Amino acid sequence: MQIIQLAAEAVTQVSQVSGNLGVLGYGLAAIGPGIGVGLVVSKTIESIARQPELAARLQVTMWLGIAFTEALALIGLATPFIFAA
Amino acid sequence: MFDDLKSVMLRVLRLGALLVLGITVVGSGIGFLVAGVPGVLAALAGGAAAFVFTALTALSLLLGSKLGLAGFLGVVLGGWLVKMVLFLVLFGVLNRADWLTFDSRPVVFFTVVAAVLGGLVLDTLIVTKARLAPAVKSS
Repeated sequence: MQIIQLAAEAVTQVSQVSGNLGVLGYGLAAIGPGIGVGLVVSKTIESIARQPELAARLQVTMWLGIAFTEALALIGLATPFIFAA
Repeated sequence: MFDDLKSVMLRVLRLGALLVLGITVVGSGIGFLVAGVPGVLAALAGGAAAFVFTALTALSLLLGSKLGLAGFLGVVLGGWLVKMVLFLVLFGVLNRADWLTFDSRPVVFFTVVAAVLGGLVLDTLIVTKARLAPAVKSS
């Protein structure tokens, strides 16, 4: 029962949040691509450590991975232009 | 002759600039029909932002490839961080600009999205067409 009361309290508190919600949008637009680029880079380092002779090819592939991931960030950052009231 | 990272990135920058230029011209036309002169300005701002955003990654790879692995990652990831901050500020300022009328605001968004998606298609095509050197056994 206590958990339900806590949840109800949390919901009323969240509904009272005021200020610019666009800030949350900016934050969310940074989190996803941040994780994505981190994964792309970490796997590239792993691959280059295993096969250093493939470094040039892996760097080009890594760039393609980063380009796709950061497209999400740019689209996320541009959304205020259609969603803002 | 095989392509190296430098020639691939230079090709990406050159063809990417042409593509964004084309998309911005089309966007300006649509923007003018939708919102008049502010629509044209909005398309120009969106096209410029999208090009700088994508070109900075290619440039950071170009500069970073001259360094070792750690330097390469430092330049690419550091450049990415700086770029994100730069664009938060840029879009924050643009969002409050007086000359950006209500009708012209979506023009910015759709120009950015079209330029980014078009750029991704171009990047993929260039990488698939590139003749990268096969693995060489390091002694």
